[in-house]
Amino acid sequence: MQSFEPLIIAFVCNWCTYTAADLAGTSRLTYPSNVRLIRVMCTGMVDPQYIIKAFLEGADAVLVSGCHPGDCHYINGNFKARRRIRLLKEILPQFGFEADRLQLTWIGASDGIQFTQTMRELTERTRELGPVASRSQMVF
Amino acid sequence: MLRENYHAVIIGAGIAGIRSALDLAETGSDVLLIDRAAHPGGLLSRLDAQFPTDGCGMCKMLPLLERDSAEATCLRKGFFHERIDFLPATELSHLEGGPGRFAVRLKQTLQGVDPQLCIGCGACETVCPVDMPDDFNSGLSRSKAIHRVVPHAVVGAYVIDAAACTRCGACVPICPTGAIDLAFDRRKEFSILVVDDELSVRDSLKEWLLNEGFMNVQTAESGAEALTLLEQSDVKLLLIDVKMPGMDGVDLLKQAKADHPDRVAVMMTAYATVDTAVEAMKSGALDYLIKPFDPQAMLAMVNRVFQATVSVQERQVTAGAVILAGGMTLFDPGEGVNPYGYGTHPHVITSLAFERVLSGCGPSQGRLVRPADGKPLQRIAWLQCVGSRDCQISADFCSRICCMISLKEAVLAKNKSNDAVETTIFYTDMRTFGKSFEPYRRQAEEERGVNLVRARVHSVTASPESGDPLLRYAGLDGRMHEAEVDLVVLAAGFRPSPETEALAELTQAERNAWGFFQPQPFAAACSSAEGIYLAGACTEPVEINAALIQASAAALEAGRTLRRSGSQLALAEGPAAKGVAPDAPPRILAAICTCHGCLSETRNTEKLISGLTRDPAVVQVLFVDQLCGADGWGPLEAAIKDVAPNRLLVAACHPLRHSTHRRALSRRTGLPENLMTIVDMKIEPTEPQADTTARSLRTALGEHVLSASLQMGVAFLKHTDPTAPEREQVQRKALVIGGGTAGMHAALAIADMGYGVDLVEKENRLGGNLAWLHHTLEGHAVKPLLDQLDDRVIQHPKITLHLEHEVVNAVGRVGDFRTTVQNAQGRTEILRHGVTILATGGLEAETTAYGYGTHRAIVTQQALERQIGSGEADAAAWDVVAMIQCVGSREPSRDYCSRVCCPTAIKHALYLKEKNPRVQIYILYRDVMMTGFSESYYTEARRAGVVFIPYRPQQLPGVETSPDGIVTLSVRDPIAEVDLKIEANLLVLATGVVPRLPAKLAAFYGATLDSGGFFQEADSKWRPVDGLREGVFACGLALAPQTITEAAAAGQAAAQRALRILCHESLSAGHPTAAVRHSLCVLCQRCIDACPYGARSVDLEQRRLVVDPAMCQGCGACAAVCLNGAAILNHHGAGQMLAMIDAAVE
Repeated sequence: MQSFEPLIIAFVCNWCTYTAADLAGTSRLTYPSNVRLIRVMCTGMVDPQYIIKAFLEGADAVLVSGCHPGDCHYINGNFKARRRIRLLKEILPQFGFEADRLQLTWIGASDGIQFTQTMRELTERTRELGPVASRSQMVF
Repeated sequence: MLRENYHAVIIGAGIAGIRSALDLAETGSDVLLIDRAAHPGGLLSRLDAQFPTDGCGMCKMLPLLERDSAEATCLRKGFFHERIDFLPATELSHLEGGPGRFAVRLKQTLQGVDPQLCIGCGACETVCPVDMPDDFNSGLSRSKAIHRVVPHAVVGAYVIDAAACTRCGACVPICPTGAIDLAFDRRKEFSILVVDDELSVRDSLKEWLLNEGFMNVQTAESGAEALTLLEQSDVKLLLIDVKMPGMDGVDLLKQAKADHPDRVAVMMTAYATVDTAVEAMKSGALDYLIKPFDPQAMLAMVNRVFQATVSVQERQVTAGAVILAGGMTLFDPGEGVNPYGYGTHPHVITSLAFERVLSGCGPSQGRLVRPADGKPLQRIAWLQCVGSRDCQISADFCSRICCMISLKEAVLAKNKSNDAVETTIFYTDMRTFGKSFEPYRRQAEEERGVNLVRARVHSVTASPESGDPLLRYAGLDGRMHEAEVDLVVLAAGFRPSPETEALAELTQAERNAWGFFQPQPFAAACSSAEGIYLAGACTEPVEINAALIQASAAALEAGRTLRRSGSQLALAEGPAAKGVAPDAPPRILAAICTCHGCLSETRNTEKLISGLTRDPAVVQVLFVDQLCGADGWGPLEAAIKDVAPNRLLVAACHPLRHSTHRRALSRRTGLPENLMTIVDMKIEPTEPQADTTARSLRTALGEHVLSASLQMGVAFLKHTDPTAPEREQVQRKALVIGGGTAGMHAALAIADMGYGVDLVEKENRLGGNLAWLHHTLEGHAVKPLLDQLDDRVIQHPKITLHLEHEVVNAVGRVGDFRTTVQNAQGRTEILRHGVTILATGGLEAETTAYGYGTHRAIVTQQALERQIGSGEADAAAWDVVAMIQCVGSREPSRDYCSRVCCPTAIKHALYLKEKNPRVQIYILYRDVMMTGFSESYYTEARRAGVVFIPYRPQQLPGVETSPDGIVTLSVRDPIAEVDLKIEANLLVLATGVVPRLPAKLAAFYGATLDSGGFFQEADSKWRPVDGLREGVFACGLALAPQTITEAAAAGQAAAQRALRILCHESLSAGHPTAAVRHSLCVLCQRCIDACPYGARSVDLEQRRLVVDPAMCQGCGACAAVCLNGAAILNHHGAGQMLAMIDAAVE
């Protein structure tokens, strides 16, 4: 069987995780090319429709990653994201997407290594989950 | 390019320097910021998390208004502001002139790598043979001689450690951009003259030097011959023998120096003539070498001289004011007696090194393991007061922040190990003096299980069995104890940074006994020299909060000086770029970096082009080489002028490093910056072993990823709204509520800068607590300060004083507040102002504890101070005076340290002892909070015989009174383990400070109160005087417990923050900013609740939702909660995001 290469969309906040991604880049740490980064100002601005859209359009996993609790540049945007992701994890399975395909992490500006590890682990996990089974039954 | 004339030069680019620089830049000054390090950020660049938030928030220092003037990214990576030039590795070499007209000479050390050319590929690091301890990680990891100074810095920050570099030259050919210069050519030309009467010395020296690459070496056997040679050639370095027949070395030196004073000379001497050589140094010799000398030592010295000659670049600029912000440095625990085995025991490290252990980019990538052997940590001990509060090493001061640092490190270690690690802090007094520090300590101790042991550790040795550190300490019970741990962390104190002495000489700014700069009485930011101001820890070890307050105060003082000396500030209003019509169809120019030719080799460029031009919005695809350097941006500029796009997409490595180029391009082409986007190409070098020429590079990600990145960039740009943000008019006037120390300082500061101030005071006089304060701990009388402030405020033409007035209502937003004030007769008046400063002050807390109010011999510290002031206090009549500290403070009901009580008690104790040396004084305390240099008064009090007895909050002292005027205290002495009875003539209670800031008043301006009733800052570390709602500030006791000097500085800091707003005629939003689509809005107001900055409100007249563009910071929380898509975030809108998702999954 041909190995499955998942597509992962990562919404990363401008202040922490995007900076960690840059640190990974400048430290010449690599991470799987399955991941597409979308820089957002804050995880608190990630509208659930973006995540649902990503899944519907073909993403096999979605990561939302921002500043550690207490670090948010905008005071509490990461907490808003946390509440939202928790709800989405309840809803997504009803649409045929396993809750595990959505992940929320906190990756600070110095955590370049943690950034690449997270990307690797997520890619690996999604690879194990395989393609979204329900997608073949979806009518667009 | 660098400017030549600046409003201010700031020396030291730590957080205080950055704060001062940003404050000045935001009020229109051009600032030159220099640092002797190669990277800005100072100590904080090595700290991932700060107390008491356990996180970082440095980015919160960035401008909140005119946000586009600075780069919106993590400040620890470096920073950019359009009015600030930063010079790394630069020191002050000469200073002349005075306020308004300083001539500043600077010396910059070049780092061997051209930052403009370096692309951060790291190829050089792979070939460098030098393996040395990594300074950034406190020596816990290894680095190469060529390395990045700060691992998380924006690329281009490679430097060569000149002392460690062997000049093997391996890095030069491998660098793909030719950025490395080891000055081999200049080494060959560097002219050296060896003068010695012994042939063998001359020959061997010449040979050694030739081997080291110095080809231009001449020799002379006598002084006369040397002088002839000196006339013929431009000799840079002389090596002179002291004892020669005929003209001796010192004479030669004098003559050689006479016409060329910049010539460097090193004396060579036998042991017998060392005195002569030392004498020669007075005549201008750099140093001396004792014969027979070690060739390595000699060559190291010659290399040093050579490096200093070739790698030093001099600059001369002018400045109106100078701010010293050199910060502090860590005490080296290896100095002196070193009882804790630092440097000899492998498992003893400093607190700063432990910060690196905790860091994600530290030696163990954030895993909690022992640095020396990688063993997982299970038991860690922190030793407080190492190098602080130690009279034996002339450090009779407290470094102030170590207690909190250790608490934080213990909590972070607990976090990392899911509470598994055992943490113990051995402390003297736990100095949790800040507003939120006491709850932090309680939480650490009671909830997280951090052990606090009050003991001074005697020594650390290696355990004979395990080799682990073994601590011996005397406990409070007076017996010796032992403890074995895995790691000992020394909470090392602080010392002035090494350049302080030289700076003091150059600037004539006075220093104190411990080498820190000495501020003027009641003016923390003023040095003894005119026009030279002090910011941050160069005056005293301080935490972030205090450093930033002082830095803002220094910016204020510098601004005042600039205004007095007639400097014109260049505050450009409105965007420089011409803008793009909102209805113009997008025309995107896509520029792709070919990265030194590697793209053409490895990629199918045709496919990239066709992929991009499939979208009609992309008008042209351009391949440019070296967009990472200045070379590539020239062709790009030409193309923009030629193609006239209204959007620009750039694909290059490391998007964060291009901000300067992007801004310059925007200025020159008129294309707004927000219509340019840079996507990451992620090019990285191949392993050099595979290809020895190593000029080829490969992409880290596949070709399809680059294509997707480009498509995402196109989608982002295509849906960007080009409308220029709106501007809101500013009422250029301030309202200051409260006429105490802080309020008067704030009012004067703003008025001195030419803006009107309404100063509202409830009482019929100014001064607040200054009225009853008699003298300070340092012995400064308070009355002259009050008189002077009172006079200045009353006479200031820009200040309108409203005595006996109270604020009864207020509405508005930043730039336009309307406040109703009412006088005692009930007459009201409406004041319009752009900013509000809350300086409502505080009072001594009331108490009923310890029988207060039942007996006239039981008084508070304030009452005693009043008695001293009025002369009623009759020290001679008292035999015994007792004082109880922390009355009602540092308890869950009032959970903060009032900070002023310990200094006040000791001040009064010293006063009484001076008046009546026979009086016995007992001070019952919990922790003596004599932070910073006030510690020395604590020592003085103990020397004067004041007895300090600790008590625990679980076992409060008992008080009994008798009709004969005697108050009897009973307290348990924990050391002697006996119950004491103290019969005192006077019992003085330190009840602490409570704020006087009514919640209703704060609410008028959208401010909130913290658990202690003080003003809640936007961020207790990084925005210490700002409210979360822009335009509202606080200072003085309404903000936090403070001394007079601290309140004055906070007043000035609040004023400086307010001036950022007042200096604009109108305020504009930055990018991105939220907006409202009114046709879709149903006024459900969910967005109002979501906005952390209070930028959204309902306009009741128009019945619609409005966003204040100056208050909005562009987080987009509102857009995410809006059900109708009515709340939008411009420049990061839903349309853009959805289009990007589409492009990403394509």
